[in-house]
Amino acid sequence: MPKKYHIHAKVTPLNLDYVYKFKIERGENCINCGKCTKVCIYEAHKRGKGGDPRKMADPNTVVCRNCFRCIQECPRGALEKSLDKDYLNIGGSYWKSDMLITLWKQAEDGKVPVTGAGYRGPFTGPGFDSMWTDMSEIVRPTRDGIHGREYISTSVELGRKLNHLSFDECGNLLSKIHDTIDIPIPIIFDFPEGNLSPTVKVALVRAAAELNTCIVLSPDHIAADTKKYIKNIIPLISHKEIDKHQALIKSVRMVAIDYKDEVLNSLPALQNKIKKINNVLTIVRVPATKSVEGLVAQLAQSGAEIIHVVADYCGMETGSTGTDRRLAKDIIRAVHLKLVEDRIRDEVTIIFSGGIAMAEHVPKAMICGADLTAIDLPLLIALGARLYEEPEKIILFPEGLEKISVRTIMHRIVNLMGAWHSQLLEVMGAMGIREARRLRGETGRAIFFEEIDNDTFGKLFKKEKL
Amino acid sequence: MKPSTVKIKKMPSRFKHQVPKYKVTRSAACINCGTCAKSCPYGVHERQEGHNKMSVPIDYKCIGLECKNNDFYCVAKCPRQALSISLNPMYETLGDYRWTADMITGTWIMAETGYPPERKDLEYNIGNSGGGFDKLRLKFPDKPSKIDKLEISTEIPLNKRNDGRANIVISTPVYGGGMSFGSVSLPTMVSKAHNAAIWNTFTCTGEGGYPEVLQPYNDHVITQVATGLFGVREETIQRVKIVEFKYAQGAKPGLGGHLLGEKNTESVARMREAVKGTSLFSPFPFHSVYSIEDHKKHIDWIKQMNPDALVSVKVSTPNDVDMVAVGSYYAGAHIIHIDGGYGGTGAAPDIAKKNIAMPIEYAITKVHNFLKDEGARDTMTLIASGGIRTAHDLVKAICLGADGAVIGTAEMVSLECVRCGNCESGRGCARGIASTDSELADLFNEEWATQRLTNMYHAWNIQLVEILQKFGMRSVRELVGRTDLLEHIDYSEKSSN
Repeated sequence: MPKKYHIHAKVTPLNLDYVYKFKIERGENCINCGKCTKVCIYEAHKRGKGGDPRKMADPNTVVCRNCFRCIQECPRGALEKSLDKDYLNIGGSYWKSDMLITLWKQAEDGKVPVTGAGYRGPFTGPGFDSMWTDMSEIVRPTRDGIHGREYISTSVELGRKLNHLSFDECGNLLSKIHDTIDIPIPIIFDFPEGNLSPTVKVALVRAAAELNTCIVLSPDHIAADTKKYIKNIIPLISHKEIDKHQALIKSVRMVAIDYKDEVLNSLPALQNKIKKINNVLTIVRVPATKSVEGLVAQLAQSGAEIIHVVADYCGMETGSTGTDRRLAKDIIRAVHLKLVEDRIRDEVTIIFSGGIAMAEHVPKAMICGADLTAIDLPLLIALGARLYEEPEKIILFPEGLEKISVRTIMHRIVNLMGAWHSQLLEVMGAMGIREARRLRGETGRAIFFEEIDNDTFGKLFKKEKL
Repeated sequence: MKPSTVKIKKMPSRFKHQVPKYKVTRSAACINCGTCAKSCPYGVHERQEGHNKMSVPIDYKCIGLECKNNDFYCVAKCPRQALSISLNPMYETLGDYRWTADMITGTWIMAETGYPPERKDLEYNIGNSGGGFDKLRLKFPDKPSKIDKLEISTEIPLNKRNDGRANIVISTPVYGGGMSFGSVSLPTMVSKAHNAAIWNTFTCTGEGGYPEVLQPYNDHVITQVATGLFGVREETIQRVKIVEFKYAQGAKPGLGGHLLGEKNTESVARMREAVKGTSLFSPFPFHSVYSIEDHKKHIDWIKQMNPDALVSVKVSTPNDVDMVAVGSYYAGAHIIHIDGGYGGTGAAPDIAKKNIAMPIEYAITKVHNFLKDEGARDTMTLIASGGIRTAHDLVKAICLGADGAVIGTAEMVSLECVRCGNCESGRGCARGIASTDSELADLFNEEWATQRLTNMYHAWNIQLVEILQKFGMRSVRELVGRTDLLEHIDYSEKSSN
């Protein structure tokens, strides 16, 4: 048995305000009878307004779990509940407010979000919401279910792989096996844009190191006090600056270069140049434009080792504003299928990022064809950042974040990833898949809304065109 | 038709106020003349004895804007135009896409009165999920049939194998889902069983043992054998008419059951023969079943132990659920119970509820057709669960190919569950339904709960009979697989244009 990979979660509250869903207000007609204090098991209601024990204090609505007991049992009907205004305003159509609250919560306790009473959301939705993962009822390789789940491997390999091995007439191996790098979770961090404080930067790097994964950072963000974790840093540089960053390249395991038109033709040369400095892997970072699959295929044919496809922060195609822009699910599938069609899929590693917002997006992106994912915004939401999509993308950091220690921030990010890792295990356990690597492109182990709805209801209810 | 044991009695909410849909606002222009109090027959407006001022309006009693056609409409009656009615912001905090606030309110009214709501402002038959049942509509013929409602049968047989085992017929094509002692309170469990007896149908113990207080209802209890085998004994298998194997649950397929330590109180622990306060796992899967042959061995084991009992096999809805169903048929099961992903009452990881395995609407169709192709459909009883919220869902499920349905959440909502979703931790349900906390589990008594369930089943039965009458059918059995009586608002409308 390989050594178990375990993420140690540690409850780490952040004493800063975050969004909550319900707002309870006490009306003028409250008679201060105290019934609400008795019925609320979450202690939202207490006496002592302004130090006066005869009066009820304002409800502590942050703890409200929406049980309606105070509302229904108040003798005067003096309590009112509504959706909090912040809750209604935060996020947007992709980053839903419930999602933000759940991420915040996972960063606090590192636990898989569990609730009672069945699923409450829409039947289906755009992108990843239009697919379900399969499960295996009786016969399956992960016999032990959740209890043996430590034996499910979530590690993935980055790097160029051989299509096949070649041998000479005597049976000696001719092929040169490429170097690859293993990381224990199919998630790396992508440095979130925005003005991050030095503590947050250090904490992100340390969290990546703690988790044994990597973080993509531009060289000017690599502070002196993160040098210790340099092996977990992937510097993102321009292909023109390889010489300038020689020293840096010598100390890392992977380098990312931004795609520019001239990179395509000079790729083998660029990779060789980097390899001469140090035996590192090169990631080519490409935007998820309309024709990204063609570009990825060309890069793969020219020997790219790892290609990082970057969609916008809502998982949408970049480079245009049309309404027909593809979503993550379809972008990844197109890239994957193009590489399969060109018979080169197994040779190259595909990282996908943009709009990876919930734990379920990781296995779903992999089922669609990514080898692994990169995340950015959830890392900030774990620290209490508020994200707004309208009128334009805005990220607001909570006041007082600068006073929070690197350790606390790091723990919250580790917690978040711990929760995601456990959820990945749940999904893989149910599917009966023992190795995360085997999730890649396993569309046969997923159920796609368009297909099944058409197969079931389309067949039954579509009338023949006359 | 309902059994003679069914008696309807009004059973109001146990709480002083209900969740209001509307908000009645009294402005400063009010002169406290009391006209509104005199005119409103619902009791929204009150002036208490000895008070000069009108009380704050009791919102939940207001029937809303549809009142404006009545001559007692307070807004029109008020001499100072001091009153106005609007949607209450509180209503938005109740319910969700699948169980809308209207659906919860509608179910509460059914549980209170025993009849479908008369109010026209509640869409209580269809949810807002935007898919599956919520996009299917019943296609009624233009001319109503002349069939007498009293002639319409809602009975279904559960043993279609003709194998000499009990010929069980239930009076309404619905029975109660498995909720273990520990996950729900004892009054909840007993009232479910009592109601099952009243309705000549079944309820299920879930996996947590067979409390002695259920014994009077033995003939209406399904005992569950799940992977943890908690509380499974030879005598519990022998005292019932149906034994259910639980392979998986739709809300958390492939993950097994998990009772958090906090809910494992003294009495729960005793029942499960476990240690108080420890988390109890019912791991997925059965380690005695690694193949379909093992599955048959499992069923034979139960059949040997209880020569009269029927065997039900409860599975969730993976892609190959149809093959699992056919496997169960060959293994000798009487009932294949498929549990779709969007249902469930107990605690489950959110990621599992949303993402793992397919919604029940697809699975019913798949299993029905596959069993039919295999020539096994007439010998198997197909029961669907996991997202059957209303009588209309039930009818749609049957039209898609099920014989009947198992319900869970609808029963909980009848007992005034608000779907807050906090059943899983701490002291459990704040409303005393899914809690074994001594203080919280005492929030209602069995009599109240039984009557609420009986009322809700009655309202569903009335709706079912009305639908069958419109379709001109004398039995609910005629409805099975009649997809021609359904239309889908995405496909049917588009193609007819």
